[in-house]
Amino acid sequence: MNHAERLATAFVATFAVIVLAATVAGFVATDGAAPAPEIENEHFTDENLTHDRTPGEADVTMSSTQPPRTVLVDPGIETAGTVPANPLALLGLGGPDVADRDIRPLANALIENGHEVRVHTPPAGQPTAPRPGATRPAPNQNGAEGTQIPLDSELEEADAFVTFDSEYSAAEREAIESFVDGGGTVVSMTDPDEAFDQPGAAAFDSTLGVSTEPGYVYNLAENDLNYQRVYAEPAGDSALTDGVDRAVFPTATPVGAAGGEEAFRPIDGSQLSTSRAPTDAPLLVENGGVIKIGDADFLSPENAQRADNDVLIGNLADALVTSGNGGARPPVGSESTQTSSDADPTDGPDTAS
Amino acid sequence: MSSNRFDSPLTPRHQLAVVVVAAALIGAVFAPIVYANANEPSGTVAVVEIEGPVNTALADDVENELAEIRDNGSVEAVVLKIDTGGGAPVASERMYKAVQRTSEQMPVLAAVQEISASGGYYAMAPADDIYVLPTSIVGSIGLNARAPQTSPPVEGPSGPDKAGGNEIEGWARQQTLADTFINAMMAERGDRFELSREEVAHADVYLGTEAVQNGFADEIGSLTEAVHEAATRAGLESYSVDTRETGPDGGIPFLIRTDEQVFAVYSNDPGYGDVEPMGVAYVHLESVPHIDTVERFSEGSLPVDGEAGTAGTADPNTTSDTAPASGGVGA
Repeated sequence: MNHAERLATAFVATFAVIVLAATVAGFVATDGAAPAPEIENEHFTDENLTHDRTPGEADVTMSSTQPPRTVLVDPGIETAGTVPANPLALLGLGGPDVADRDIRPLANALIENGHEVRVHTPPAGQPTAPRPGATRPAPNQNGAEGTQIPLDSELEEADAFVTFDSEYSAAEREAIESFVDGGGTVVSMTDPDEAFDQPGAAAFDSTLGVSTEPGYVYNLAENDLNYQRVYAEPAGDSALTDGVDRAVFPTATPVGAAGGEEAFRPIDGSQLSTSRAPTDAPLLVENGGVIKIGDADFLSPENAQRADNDVLIGNLADALVTSGNGGARPPVGSESTQTSSDADPTDGPDTAS
Repeated sequence: MSSNRFDSPLTPRHQLAVVVVAAALIGAVFAPIVYANANEPSGTVAVVEIEGPVNTALADDVENELAEIRDNGSVEAVVLKIDTGGGAPVASERMYKAVQRTSEQMPVLAAVQEISASGGYYAMAPADDIYVLPTSIVGSIGLNARAPQTSPPVEGPSGPDKAGGNEIEGWARQQTLADTFINAMMAERGDRFELSREEVAHADVYLGTEAVQNGFADEIGSLTEAVHEAATRAGLESYSVDTRETGPDGGIPFLIRTDEQVFAVYSNDPGYGDVEPMGVAYVHLESVPHIDTVERFSEGSLPVDGEAGTAGTADPNTTSDTAPASGGVGA
């Protein structure tokens, strides 16, 4: 091996050693993150964590065999969403869908059993009260200029009155009071936020002899997918509670009635927002021909599918056509000629206390 | 005797002087190195800042910093400097997992500044201990979301849930989201909470003084005290502090809210693409500034299939007809 060969060999050998050393060092001192520690988070994999998202089904049926009655509905306020309810929507004349669909389970049950559902619309120049906090202008009592009929006139034609409103003029409240005194049934539904938004709620409650508690009921331990969607159970036996084990009231406020009958109470563990204390104050009461419900959303299509709400809605429909007749005249051509005074109270569930 | 001496022209005394001077010079060269080594802290405490709205950018940074810390042999302990009212659920969960992994390897303490609520509390919950100042705010364990609504029919999508939804399914999804958060907090700190699960689910917030009594926090103390305690737990006799800033520069995005929902805003002069509705959020609402309207951006009012969008919030009179292309916020 001559001198040049020795030099070349030395070069190659040195180069190979350096490259090999660098390779080994690279493997030994690998850059990058080390494996993360294994952590078992059983609270993320608990099979009970995921809530059942099945909407459920509803079957609203009526047991009443009463002849055709007329039920007047005042949608008054929106019962869901942010869009003010438009009574025309209930007539299928356009407008927001929300008001129409929210009362459909009850309205459909009445219609399918041969009863008439009418919708109160304010007289001309008297727009539907927008929410929140707006007040309705003074009603046009003569109603002559409008195509809509004043409330008192409509009540004269009705057997029962369902209202989501609470802002009525003195004349309207007087007409409603006369309607109740005449044997008509009034179902008044309210939401907790009404206590904040509606300046006239107390006056209307006074007309009906019922009360509404400020605040809302909630239950963090046992509820229908949200703490405000509380379960209520019968407080006793009545036509309204028949067949109902539990009902869901999505936004409930306690209600009361002097001398009235408590129909539904929130289940154990429920609390009142204003006191953060347990409450068993009723959410639905009956006082003669008046039914006061501290919730306005429980009869929407989705909520009708929860718990036994469909049974409750059916019972409510029965109550509307059974217990009274404030001033309705039987429809022309109707087979029935019964009036409120000669209607047989044993024909159906007796909801009057 | 002469054999033991160097054959040098220098006298023995001079030779000794030269040796001493040489030793002094060499010592002077090495002394700083030796001093530095002797004086070097035995380890580092990393302070990771988690401040502002909880969002993807913040979670990215926190994950990266904590991953680097776990691989960095010189960092012996971590203190999370927390000041946030929460934000996006997924970002909160990502930080929660990153903190959880880190606390498996080294002491991790959390030092709350003004607030650590909702998603912020979620992120710091796996810390060994939570330090609060007397007037810090902690808690708000829960979900903020709009009430689900059933959508009207939309023509075009391939399935009913592609561009719409069912109210009940929405409620179930939101409650699962809320329970995921609450269950995680009960798993992390259930043995320290003096409150029941239902009481925790109220989503209340507590001042530091109350939090150390009900188990939402562990110690009244400042960031400095938390750092010192972290070093002590890591067995460091002396330590250095390495502060890691996280999140985007410039303080954006920030959160705003209307009466109905929370929005993330990604610009100081937001256009259409800079405002993101947050359908659900782990956020403490009181810590989010409130405005009257966010034009065109309410989730429920976004146009579908060419449908004209409408402002879904507040008074429609405040919504400009020229807004759809630009959007914006207004107080």
